[in-house]
Amino acid sequence: MKRILLVVLSAVLVLSLLAGCASPATPTATPSPTATSATPTPTPTPTGGGVIQIGLQAPITGNFAAEGQWAKQCVEVAAALINAKGGVLGKQVEIVVADDASNPKDSALAAQKLISQGLKEVIASYGSSVTAPAADLYDKNQVVSVGYGCTAVSLTMDKLRPYFFRTAGRDDTQSEFFAKLAVEKLGAKKIAIMHDNQDYGKGVAEDAMKYLKPYVDAGTTEVVYYDAITPGENDYSAAITKIKQLNPDLLFFTAYYPEAGLIIKQARQAGITCTFVGNNSVPTPEFVKIAGNDAIKGALMLNEPMPQFLTYAESTQFLNAYKAKYNEIPGSIWAVYAADALNALCAAITKAGGTDPDKVAAAMRTMTDAKGITGSLLFTERGDRKDIPYYTYIYDDKGELALYK
Amino acid sequence: MSVFFEQLLNGLTIGSFYALVALGYSMVYGVMKLINFAHGDLFTLGSYLGYTVLVVGAGWVTANFGVWGGMAVAMLAAFLGIAVAGILLERIAYRPVYKAGRLPLVVSALGMSIFIQNGIMAIWGPRFQAYPMTAVPKEIITIGDIRITALQLFILLLALALMGLIYWLVEKTTFGAAVRAAALDKDTATLMGINFRQVIFFVFALGPALGGIAGVMTGLNYGRIIFNMGWVYGLKAFTATILGGIGNIPGAMIGGLLLGILETLFAGYVSSAWKDVFIFMVLILVLIWRPTGLIGEKTAEKV
Repeated sequence: MKRILLVVLSAVLVLSLLAGCASPATPTATPSPTATSATPTPTPTPTGGGVIQIGLQAPITGNFAAEGQWAKQCVEVAAALINAKGGVLGKQVEIVVADDASNPKDSALAAQKLISQGLKEVIASYGSSVTAPAADLYDKNQVVSVGYGCTAVSLTMDKLRPYFFRTAGRDDTQSEFFAKLAVEKLGAKKIAIMHDNQDYGKGVAEDAMKYLKPYVDAGTTEVVYYDAITPGENDYSAAITKIKQLNPDLLFFTAYYPEAGLIIKQARQAGITCTFVGNNSVPTPEFVKIAGNDAIKGALMLNEPMPQFLTYAESTQFLNAYKAKYNEIPGSIWAVYAADALNALCAAITKAGGTDPDKVAAAMRTMTDAKGITGSLLFTERGDRKDIPYYTYIYDDKGELALYK
Repeated sequence: MSVFFEQLLNGLTIGSFYALVALGYSMVYGVMKLINFAHGDLFTLGSYLGYTVLVVGAGWVTANFGVWGGMAVAMLAAFLGIAVAGILLERIAYRPVYKAGRLPLVVSALGMSIFIQNGIMAIWGPRFQAYPMTAVPKEIITIGDIRITALQLFILLLALALMGLIYWLVEKTTFGAAVRAAALDKDTATLMGINFRQVIFFVFALGPALGGIAGVMTGLNYGRIIFNMGWVYGLKAFTATILGGIGNIPGAMIGGLLLGILETLFAGYVSSAWKDVFIFMVLILVLIWRPTGLIGEKTAEKV
């Protein structure tokens, strides 16, 4: 009897350990309709085997699982479109996925996994604090990495990473845009700013303060609240009660959608009626789901062009292909940027005539005619995307976005 | 002044969640001397059970029992479901290694935590789920300047009532005396005719079940649930348990409520960014001053 129990127990332990290790490390365990990620070639020989393997590091699980899954779907659709046109240099593109569970620790593990598989080009990742450790590893191992959902200024400006690029814009553009919108367009006299103390949210908040400073000095506006919340919690009533008492005209929330959804819901419940402005990671279907249509009505969102408002020929083709497969359009622009990261890498590989990382990185910097889903794919010397416009959007009472004029 | 009361109310709400979860840690520790690391994940499981009850058949439960009735059904389902899960947990993961000492028990607990968390992710998916808005009462009660939702008030009262019930059960009844005796000295208690297995059954059914109810309350009050949310609540509730004195029922309640109130007042009047630093500083200071927590672990006086 004892022995049977012991066997059962050890089986439970082994299973739980397997479950613990396996799910973050092998994203192919998630049911995937495509065969691309499920059939890794035994010896990854990216230049000789008739295929070009490109890595995708994304948060398949964790708090930003929705973003990770959209990114995976977008990249797979983009890869299918490229392959349908004959691939790159006559070879088929194959995507190898690694899950970073949207935390920096797993991000390093995911990066190691892709590096050890011999990949030379990867797409990585969503979230600035998650991307940073991976970008360092890729850089050290001479692997070209292209970020898609990481907009913190620090990623390209703190130090030079010769192999790092990103298809997303930069947050200083966003913060400057916000300051103009808040003061000149909305005429806010009292502004509250709330961030989450992480690379991205804090970066946007700090830059917003910088760009608001001239207006504050001139006495046109004042910042009555500037503080951070702890992400991952459920109850932000303490901060909200404090904001309510300060009675601002505008609340600028600079962090991710899971907290944004709770903040706006709890703020409206507490009777705060001021304008809510969410930064570029907020407008997603998940935000609507968490907050509910009533709470978000009239909320303003800052974002680079949203997928549903893209008008290029490439974007129409991509969105139609995506819709045919998943019956909806991608939930955020970041997932579309992941597809454009693939387009950029493929264009650079074509220009470089192979997957040699040094040549590909050089090609990325000097490309002039690469067209993506989100416009021209042009990069600066430090790896930033050129010419990303910003827009303001507004939620209606059905949870749909419209351009705010 | 009304802002102060509003913050106090916020703190009490957060604190009552911590206290309910902390009770489960404390009850199990009292009897088994085991920190049940899987407790936070049972809390999450309870939240998902309640969610399933409320969304099944496009809100069939809410449609037939009304909003309050639906909530009661969801909580009852989570209470019973997690009580069963708690008993199973003890049978499968703890009883076989109980005699092997404390370290294998803790490893087993950690393993179960990972197992349950990944199980939830496998069943309900890795994305956020939202409790249906139609299943939650929308009334807002205004007293002077203070606004409180009817739901928040209900949760607060229910949590306090549950805590009162547990206090009465453990401190005032004969069975409670048996539980306390078993916590003090298992062998002597067994010699006196106390059924130790029954006591273990009781703490592993009731402790997690309280966490399960707290899970449903969290889902109802905040709307957003995710498979890994047990970690944050588990950590805070564990802190509350240590603060009040582990293995001690009133200690867990006071620890939980105090933690919620301190956290909220600090966030409201100083800075919400630094509130966790403040909380853990308070914890360290309390432990320096009273190493067994505010109320302290009850130890038998050996003469």
